[in-house]
Amino acid sequence: MEGLFTFAPAIVLFPLVAFAITLLVGRYLPLGGAIPGIVATGGSLALSLVMAAAVAGGETTNELVYTWFETPEITFHFGLLIDPLSAAMLVVVSLIAFLVHVFSLSYMNAEGETGLPRYYAGLGLFTFSMLAFVVADNLLMSFVFFELVGLCSFLLIGFWYRTKSAPSAAKKAFLVTRFGDFFFLIGVVAIAASYGTLSFAGDASFVTAAESAIDSETFFGFDADTWVTITGLLVLGGVIGKSAQFPLHTWLPDAMEGPTPVSALIHAATMVAAGVYLVARMFGYYALSPTALAVIAFVGGFTALFAATMGCVKDDVKQVLAYSTISQYGYMMLAMGVGGYVAGVFHLLNHAVFKALLFLGAGAVIIAMHHEQDMWKMGGLKEQMPVTYYSFLAGSLALAGIIPFSGFWSKDEVLYDALIVGLSEPLILAAYAMALLAVFFTGFYTIRMVRLTFHGEPRSEAAESPHAIGLPAKIPLAVLGVLALVGGAMNLKPLEELAGLEVAFLERWLDGQGVGSVDGLTYHAYSETVHYGHEYIGGPEGTVILSAALSLGLALAGAGLAWTLYSGPEPTRHTERLGSLRDLAVANYYQDEYQVWLARGLTLPLARASDRFDQTAIDGVVDGVGSVSRFGGERLRRLQTGQVTDYAALVILGVLALLVVLGINGGWFL
Amino acid sequence: MSTAWIAISAMALIGVGLPIGMITLSSLLRPSVPEDGKRQTYESGEIPTGGTRFRFNVQYYMVALLFVIFDVETAFIFPWVVTYRDALEGGPSVVAVLAPMLAFLGILIVGLVWAWRNGAVSWARSETTDWRSTQNQ
Amino acid sequence: MIEPVQLPDAAALGPALVLGLTALVVFVFDSARPHEPDRGLLAGTTAAGSLLALGVGVWYMIAGVGVPEPDGAGVISLFDGQLVVDQLALFFMLVTAIVTALVAIASYDYMDGHAHQGEYYSLVLLAATGMATMAAANSLVTVFLALELASLPSYALVAILKDNRGSVEAGLKYFLLGALSSAIFVYGISLVYGATGVLQLDLVAEAITGETGQHVLTGNAHDVAGHDGLLGVGIVLLLVGIAFKTASVPLHFWAPEAYEGAPAPIAAFLSSASKAAGFVIAIRVFTTAFPVEATAGLVGFDWSVAFAVLAVATMTIGNFAAAVQENVKRMLAYSSVGHAGYALIGLAGVGAGANELVLGAALMHLFVYAFMNTGAFLFVALAEYWGVGRTFADYNGLGRRAPIACVALTVFMFSLAGIPPLGGFLSKYLLFWGSLQAGMLFVAGALVVNSALSLYYYSRLVKAVWFEEPVTDHGSLAQPVGLYAALIAAAVMTVVVLPGFGPIADSALDAATAVLTS
Repeated sequence: MEGLFTFAPAIVLFPLVAFAITLLVGRYLPLGGAIPGIVATGGSLALSLVMAAAVAGGETTNELVYTWFETPEITFHFGLLIDPLSAAMLVVVSLIAFLVHVFSLSYMNAEGETGLPRYYAGLGLFTFSMLAFVVADNLLMSFVFFELVGLCSFLLIGFWYRTKSAPSAAKKAFLVTRFGDFFFLIGVVAIAASYGTLSFAGDASFVTAAESAIDSETFFGFDADTWVTITGLLVLGGVIGKSAQFPLHTWLPDAMEGPTPVSALIHAATMVAAGVYLVARMFGYYALSPTALAVIAFVGGFTALFAATMGCVKDDVKQVLAYSTISQYGYMMLAMGVGGYVAGVFHLLNHAVFKALLFLGAGAVIIAMHHEQDMWKMGGLKEQMPVTYYSFLAGSLALAGIIPFSGFWSKDEVLYDALIVGLSEPLILAAYAMALLAVFFTGFYTIRMVRLTFHGEPRSEAAESPHAIGLPAKIPLAVLGVLALVGGAMNLKPLEELAGLEVAFLERWLDGQGVGSVDGLTYHAYSETVHYGHEYIGGPEGTVILSAALSLGLALAGAGLAWTLYSGPEPTRHTERLGSLRDLAVANYYQDEYQVWLARGLTLPLARASDRFDQTAIDGVVDGVGSVSRFGGERLRRLQTGQVTDYAALVILGVLALLVVLGINGGWFL
Repeated sequence: MSTAWIAISAMALIGVGLPIGMITLSSLLRPSVPEDGKRQTYESGEIPTGGTRFRFNVQYYMVALLFVIFDVETAFIFPWVVTYRDALEGGPSVVAVLAPMLAFLGILIVGLVWAWRNGAVSWARSETTDWRSTQNQ
Repeated sequence: MIEPVQLPDAAALGPALVLGLTALVVFVFDSARPHEPDRGLLAGTTAAGSLLALGVGVWYMIAGVGVPEPDGAGVISLFDGQLVVDQLALFFMLVTAIVTALVAIASYDYMDGHAHQGEYYSLVLLAATGMATMAAANSLVTVFLALELASLPSYALVAILKDNRGSVEAGLKYFLLGALSSAIFVYGISLVYGATGVLQLDLVAEAITGETGQHVLTGNAHDVAGHDGLLGVGIVLLLVGIAFKTASVPLHFWAPEAYEGAPAPIAAFLSSASKAAGFVIAIRVFTTAFPVEATAGLVGFDWSVAFAVLAVATMTIGNFAAAVQENVKRMLAYSSVGHAGYALIGLAGVGAGANELVLGAALMHLFVYAFMNTGAFLFVALAEYWGVGRTFADYNGLGRRAPIACVALTVFMFSLAGIPPLGGFLSKYLLFWGSLQAGMLFVAGALVVNSALSLYYYSRLVKAVWFEEPVTDHGSLAQPVGLYAALIAAAVMTVVVLPGFGPIADSALDAATAVLTS
């Protein structure tokens, strides 16, 4: 490791040190042990910016740090891969972790919570694991830290472990994501077994190995391209669980039982992003398999619409945000699935910022409302909390995709990429259509949330006299609010297409143009591998205008509808007019019910049956072995008489027997 | 090879067979006259005073052990002394020739001091000495 | 830093010398105040000496002693090749030093109130010196001398609780059987010497491959093939002597008796360090002096097959006998017999392919075993210190009364059984994999079946400790500092072996490769 990258491990290790300090001596520290975490994440942020600057200066690193275990066939190791993608992600993760730590001073400390060292230790461990996941240079390391972030999520959702709902939600989150990770693990093993390497980049990467294997080799009786699809889909199991995609999305709304800063950091901005990030990290591999890409795109498009409809009928502000998170990750998956690597990453980064902002804003509202989360009991907070209101509004407009806020640019690019592929691929077109329709719902539920929360007359005592929020809450909101407004400037692709300005900065960044890049991990390289053709309506420019007009129009329509429906001092509950449709959406389309049925009605009887088999057939054999061994043991015991003369005699007899057998065998006596 | 083993087997057979044969033969030939006097330990009339299995004083062994230690020491020193002058003329420094023997003696001396301090050379049992090596008997 | 090559050659024996000198220091301390010994000083000196020996060993290892010339300092050969210090020797010196340190620390509490403190620690150190010398011995004479230097103190140590009938009885039995096996071993040496005319291991190997030995008295060359019977009997007798030292079937009878009667730290010492030392001479003598094919050509049997048979018999009998024990210490004694069987696979694999891997795995297993087995016996020492009793039932509910120690016990038990996240799993897995690579399917199968069986009785103890109701008392138990420190150190090491697996496995494999190619 050379130059500035010598310091790269420190980015990861700072939060680990903070975790250790907080865990061990946190209860003797002021502010419940918040300071080590703030200092560490601040340090990580500064170093991440240095890394980004180094990458901008044309350098990258892909280095081995520690060899865990070496065999002739495969080496398991831990290493650092810092390229444009991971550098950008490092900055975002450490920035949000830092802001969330600061915000927690208001949300947790000022509210007199107990068990704060446990909270900050959890945040520290999470930040460490997430950063290590981001810089992982191989799939095994990714898996290890993927599991660790899952563990931290479990610990933090269950922070208020005395309540009934939090531990149950924590368990649900853990089990559901574990179900996906199970496939991920099999995928890791399958990839390791078939290519003998788990590295992401370089000549010895599994992507290169898979590329050269296609058309020439077979694995376990499958053609190489089928095998790439199978293993890719297995890994995708983990992605779907972690990024809360249909059908493993059910844990995320329940995860809102955790403290709101945790929701902002883990269940909106970073951990949930780990799934999509993993797809981006090994995009070269998915690019080899059109089937896997189509699955990703379709799951993404469907999830985007499916979650958005549920978001429209929720009354709890955090629930609305949770479903919007699921929906937005659907967009990112769609982008990845149509080969829009840049669009997906762009939306990932933007979403991390504005969704963290929205959650922190919601957190501020929740403090103000004395921990009331029902939007129907709020209202009229606009005048009382101006900082929160304007930053929340910025986040909301970004989420709804209103020009010129950041979300517009990235969502538009996702939809544009989906459209140009969809014009020749019907399945993708369907995914595109669902995602486009979801834009309308997104606009609707976002503005409904803003309207109900901040506008109109106060509808409860708490809303009339809100609790003041402190400076540690306002600063992160302001920072993120500004970023949500200007974040789109990272990649003004439509302007580049239409006006010919060179303003698609992120695309150049991820393509390694003018900055450092790792061979084979560039947008360019991915685009060559992906098998999609592009078609346009009225040429590229026409398509850009058409796509942007459609998405902006639908977003404005949804937003406008909500704006008018929920206007006035006392808005009415319009969604109730939807009747049974609303009931269906409120009940989350009975997703939980069927999954519980799967567990109780199907898995449990199966488990019982196999238990019975185990008890009778397997245990019978085991007991048989046991009784034989007991019998044999008793026999042996009889040899062990305790008389030293017997032992000596046995020794001599044993030696003589050996000599006779071997002697006759070896012909010594002849 | 085979002839040698045949000879060995023959030796073994004779070695085992001869005493067994002689005992058998004599038991067949001798007259049997059971009598009480024959059952005594000493047919000369001497009457035994007790069993053969009693404890000797542990010091009895201590003397033997210490003797062996110094005996071995002497056995090592003699050849060393004989070759000492020749070895020095052969080239190596005084240290290289002297040091091993000093180390050897040093180890023995440490052992002797330890044994002495622990009462191995307190020849007689005395009421005033705390005599650890026998106190547990 | 001074490089070890700049030191005089004799310094290569550093770890052994440090242990021996510490024994003398303990003698001096004990001579100063023979009647009221300062227990802390004696135990502390012993622990410090063994840690110093450990440090010296680690230093040599890092400095590359034993690694072939261009990269390292090369194998150091002393006294015309009577002793060699190579990677194998250093590896086992480390194991010995670690176990000695753990035992010394734990003994501080265990031996509280017993007589013969000075004798105890100096005998431990002398035995450790012998074991460390065994690791470096390269001639049949030095092997035997070192073996005796390790054995004689061990006999006395087993019997050191002079007022305890069990201890004395066990010591006497151990001594008698040990003397018998030493006689057999030395007889084997004399026969091999008679057949080849040489004692140094590599010269024996030359005589066997060249089929030319020399007459013991006249020095005339003669044909070794003419003495095949002599050589064959000699090899078998050597094998028997080694089987005794490593407590392998059919010479394992002494082990349960000796371990049960001995003070628990001594049982830990014997079953870990002494057994490892037995294995090092087994490896050294058989791989260096008796090249498999040449020897098989001469004497008509392949000793690696003999080791394979011994391995399967030892692990099976050890585990089966352990499964029916009611006394915890005895269970551990038999389990230690079973583990000797696992380690024997290393020698069984020498004849087959992939020999470095199997032998390296065996070394690895002995290393991990040093921690987990010592730890398990130290828990027994702790239980004896508390005076809770000896059977499984007596251990019921200890988890609530002494949770930390019981967590350590759980770690040891699961590691001994070979449960994944712990050190014991990795070494067992390597053994399994290595024996598959070497084509020893039957041995690999026996390994798996035995491991499964062993889980039964190990988990039985864990169950007793955590899930059973205590019989009488519910109060919490004393926490003696020394025993706890040793116990926790052993537990931590058992766990830490996992992340540190790479370097340890590397040095084990290097040592195995070096001894096989030399």
